[in-house]
Amino acid sequence: MTAPQAYSPGRRHTLIPCLLGLLVGALPMTTTATAQSTSVAELQVRLPKEISGWRAAKEDRIFDERTIFSYIDGAGELYRAYNMQNCLSRRYVKKGETDITLDVFDMGTSEDAFGVFTHDTDGDRIDIGQDARYRPGWLSFWQNRFYVSIYLEEESAAAEKAVKALGKLVASAAGEPGSRPQHLNLLPRAGLDAGNIRYLHHPIVLNYHYYLFDENILHLSPQTDAILASYHRSGEQARLLLISYPKTLTARNALAGFREHYLPDADSGGLARLENGKWSAVALHDRLLTIVLEADGRLLAKNLIREAGQQASGE
Amino acid sequence: MQPKSSKKVITRRDFIKTGGYAAAGSLLGLPLLDRAAAQAAVKSRVVLIRDPDVVDSQGRVNETVLESMLDRAVTTLLGAPNPRSAWQQLFRPGDVVGIKSNVWYRLPTPEALEKALVFRLQQVGVNPNDIAVDDRDILENPVFMRSTALINVRPMRTHHWSGLGTLLKNYIMFVPAPWMYHGNACERLGAIWQKSQVTGKTRLNILVMLTPLFHGIGPHHYSSRYVWPYAGLIVSTDPVAADATGARIIEAKRNAFFGGSRPISPLPLHISAADTRFGLGTSSPERIELIRMGWGDQILI
Repeated sequence: MTAPQAYSPGRRHTLIPCLLGLLVGALPMTTTATAQSTSVAELQVRLPKEISGWRAAKEDRIFDERTIFSYIDGAGELYRAYNMQNCLSRRYVKKGETDITLDVFDMGTSEDAFGVFTHDTDGDRIDIGQDARYRPGWLSFWQNRFYVSIYLEEESAAAEKAVKALGKLVASAAGEPGSRPQHLNLLPRAGLDAGNIRYLHHPIVLNYHYYLFDENILHLSPQTDAILASYHRSGEQARLLLISYPKTLTARNALAGFREHYLPDADSGGLARLENGKWSAVALHDRLLTIVLEADGRLLAKNLIREAGQQASGE
Repeated sequence: MQPKSSKKVITRRDFIKTGGYAAAGSLLGLPLLDRAAAQAAVKSRVVLIRDPDVVDSQGRVNETVLESMLDRAVTTLLGAPNPRSAWQQLFRPGDVVGIKSNVWYRLPTPEALEKALVFRLQQVGVNPNDIAVDDRDILENPVFMRSTALINVRPMRTHHWSGLGTLLKNYIMFVPAPWMYHGNACERLGAIWQKSQVTGKTRLNILVMLTPLFHGIGPHHYSSRYVWPYAGLIVSTDPVAADATGARIIEAKRNAFFGGSRPISPLPLHISAADTRFGLGTSSPERIELIRMGWGDQILI
């Protein structure tokens, strides 16, 4: 196998999905509408200047992938990990009320807008944009190629109402719905926790959600699409990790690295029992690596690997 | 067949073997791959001092109370008869002292505390020209560049990548590319403390627990909903012990607030790694001598 790759931030290349042919007749998870090509600058002129008595403060601020750190410190790395192009920040103020901070992140593609949204899906689902969550003091949603955060300094009923109204206006201004990652269709459906799916490219994001290695053994990069999903079946739980690579050789190296460092004791079917009694499994289907992480039972691990393989091969 | 790499890759299975993830959130620490300081027999002393009058309902700091807390904590920490004597144990007139502060605008190091530190340094004879307070520009700061001693002072808060913004993490500005340390929940932060411009210089660590942030949301990782007037300072010569103590308080607050186990996320692996891998101090409560002073209500530890 080759040495683990360091993750190199950079522009993602457009992927030619390895399993494109399988996606005809895609499941409802994939929105097929064409994303409207736009940018933060184009969106900026369509953003409301006022909402429920809150007025936009003097000047918007726009940050790029380098200057974002000056705005949100180390948290900027999350957005860089999803290929952030720009971030527009606008503050709305109203006398006697808390400030409202609108941050619009242009993620370059709708898939990455979806991806960064999946990083934090705590909260109550509400009907804004293509998917949204509201927690006390914070609304987040995605629409088209934009990930949007609207944040309150202090909570109040009036401000919460204004935040939600502002969210709807921003979502409307953001353009047509964008596509979700096509590889979502490869997830086995039975027992899938649809509210707990992460789409990512970067090892730091994978490790945030599920720590695996201190090195990039899986060769994640801006060119790889990874999906981490949770399953519940018959009282048992498991996590499934799918990684699509642009090259077969990279996929093979990732498989070899995983087997060497994580599952050296795997049987011929790629299954191994972990020290905590749970089961892990790994398989490669062309350029798609499928990994079951800590399944409660052997059969669940085996079934998930098999079903993911069937999805990948179009059976 | 290609050769296997020689470096030991740390995997989740290493944690599973030691129960680290089974007890998620328990701050148990890393597997014993390279334990350096664990055998230390001497306990690290940590002083936790609290006073409800140090912050008002608006979060404003009472300078007089804060200075008094600092003096009492340092005096107790060093077993000195008075503050001046305590500071004389730490610093001498020829020292060049960098006070590594934190300017994060939501929760900066209180200016009153910085002033108090400068005052005490001058009182023991440190030349005012040999004292600097800085955060983001320490690599270019002439005092920091020629420093013989450091004071590390910052508020504790949750942090998106490291789980917690700690004393250990406060030194990340000593490296030109901080993001290089964000991997695996910033577990390698302890390595920064082994760099030449840092190693062996830190004489005092002050973890500010006046209004800690125990949970973060959104790109700004802040909400006033998740800060509370704990009204404390944690003071130690051991940054790991101070951080581990603060982490336990944050963890307890989260559990109390959310009504059940709500582990710090991600787990602040860098605290135990600073102990077991980098030998910077003590993270285990059994090896920490915790001295509680002042207000005891809702102390959480």
